[in-house]
Amino acid sequence: MTRSLLFQQVLNGLAIGSVYAIFALGYTLIFSILRIINFTHGAIFTLGAYATYALTGASFGFNGLLANASLPVRLPFVLALIGGSLFAAVCGVIVERLAFRPLRARGSDPLLTLVSSLGVAVALVNVIQYLFGAEAYSYPADPFGHLPSAVNFGTAAQPILVRTVQVIIFGVSMVVLAVLTVLMNATRTGKALRAVAEDTVTASLLGIDTDRLILLTFVISGFLGGVSGTLVGLSVGIAGPYFGIAFGLKGLAVIVLGGLGDIPGAVVGGLVIGLVEAFVPSQYIAYREAVPFALLFVVLLLRPQGLLGRTIVQKV
Amino acid sequence: MPAFLAAYDFLLVSMVLAAVLALSLYVPLMAGQLSLASPGFYALGGYIAAITSTKIFPTAGGLYPVSLVLLEMVVAALASAVLGLLVGVPALRLRGIFLALATIAFVEILRVVSLNLDVTGGAIGIFGVPQPFASQIQYMWLGLPLLGLCMLFVARLEQSRTGRALIALREDELAADAMGVDPTRYKVLAFTVSAMIAGVVGALSAHFINTWNSRQGTFDTGVSLMAFVLIGGSRTFVGPVVGGLVLTALPEALRGIADVGGLPAWLAQFLRDGRLIIFGVMIALGTVFFPHGLITPTVLQRLGRRRGSAA
Repeated sequence: MTRSLLFQQVLNGLAIGSVYAIFALGYTLIFSILRIINFTHGAIFTLGAYATYALTGASFGFNGLLANASLPVRLPFVLALIGGSLFAAVCGVIVERLAFRPLRARGSDPLLTLVSSLGVAVALVNVIQYLFGAEAYSYPADPFGHLPSAVNFGTAAQPILVRTVQVIIFGVSMVVLAVLTVLMNATRTGKALRAVAEDTVTASLLGIDTDRLILLTFVISGFLGGVSGTLVGLSVGIAGPYFGIAFGLKGLAVIVLGGLGDIPGAVVGGLVIGLVEAFVPSQYIAYREAVPFALLFVVLLLRPQGLLGRTIVQKV
Repeated sequence: MPAFLAAYDFLLVSMVLAAVLALSLYVPLMAGQLSLASPGFYALGGYIAAITSTKIFPTAGGLYPVSLVLLEMVVAALASAVLGLLVGVPALRLRGIFLALATIAFVEILRVVSLNLDVTGGAIGIFGVPQPFASQIQYMWLGLPLLGLCMLFVARLEQSRTGRALIALREDELAADAMGVDPTRYKVLAFTVSAMIAGVVGALSAHFINTWNSRQGTFDTGVSLMAFVLIGGSRTFVGPVVGGLVLTALPEALRGIADVGGLPAWLAQFLRDGRLIIFGVMIALGTVFFPHGLITPTVLQRLGRRRGSAA
């Protein structure tokens, strides 16, 4: 592998890895507070991608109930991305109210909550399919105006070309990550969130409104899901309503690799899986889809607390 | 009756096979282990049958011998048991969510591998799996005894020492461990039994649906099976069986209701095309309102008492 190819693969790996990271943060934030895996996250990811698509003014196909529908607005891509992600955040809140709060009120088994969230995910994805059909969609070809299709990180003699989309994805993900890091570490809300994650009961005894923070977590998680859905859609297109479910399964590998509920771990896990995928040799490229799951399996067996995680002692 | 059987032959056999598969998910759940690995073993069993019948014993024409189907089912059970042990021994040290995740990963890995191997036909899969029967309804000759045997086995298991050990693990693993129940041993046992059941169903299904590919036995199948067990009932073997039978028939039933007429057009349309939406909502509502499913041991007792007093 030449040096330029190596560099190129690293950049590609980081770009896709950074999307894995922000997507997985949505899972891990909820897990850190509620100790449950929110399977609707993949569906929220799809919803965000579709909402962004609609906000750019593009119309849907002719198979669903809302055949050829389009919104009367035509937002620039950046605003559509933000709008679509906010829509996903609202969906996250609705999901919390409908699927998680009733079970939490009954003190249900976390496995039951997992099952309930799977049910909601199946329903959401099929609502999308019912309304808009099963076609694949892609965003407008030049969402940011007339940028070159690739950026050269090398010299004119030795070009190191990376798709502009990948660079943008990496940039947006880094901005989102930076904002989230500041929020978690430098604000009162972030401190409260971390306190709730550490111990919900104690936090509520200390006067932290845990229900409000849980809602906030679902807002942030939904927003992250929406952003990542749009970014992945931008890179490879929206492959129909189910594409979030497949991506959602991959996200599970990321959070397990990083350690369930571990926020820096999710970022490291995302980048590691992105890089490993980028370096799968081309003759085994067909097996690339299995790589995150193989990693998941191995990590669960050897280091269930994740790469950065601490050992959890089972208490009686 | 023959007209009914002929019209719904595919559905009726599918219902029976779904009920057996639901039992496969139920057995580890008896020990409190949510394993979504069954679709993986189902896929494995299907490939064993499809490869055996198309490549090893290809028939020139006419019907494929039933004895060979039975042989394939036995081979599928053994192969699933071996793979189940290999995966189960390390994976079952994991608890709760971790086990569910590991089994999801297992199914995904199998799917990608089968999508890429030559022997499994790659993305196209294996076509023209030969038929042992002249009509589809005759698959009941294998499906019904299989369901009966599995029900009998799981019912006996529930009454046995092993079954009580599994239920003790479900209720409190630490306490059961302290009482001398070896958690790993019993969990691996349940997991292996589950794998064998799923493998056998897969072998039969490959013949029944005539073709096998990497879209059989995926995560989606796992979600459906979970719905069968959790909506049907996760505290007695009757639950998954009823869940598998009823929920497999649900789309047809909904279509039937939609065709009756008198309904607003949008509702009829929704009943025809929205079955997976209804399915998802049922799973979500079921976990909130019927955490142990619709059919629980208490319900069965009450039914039994009523029958007793009527007699």
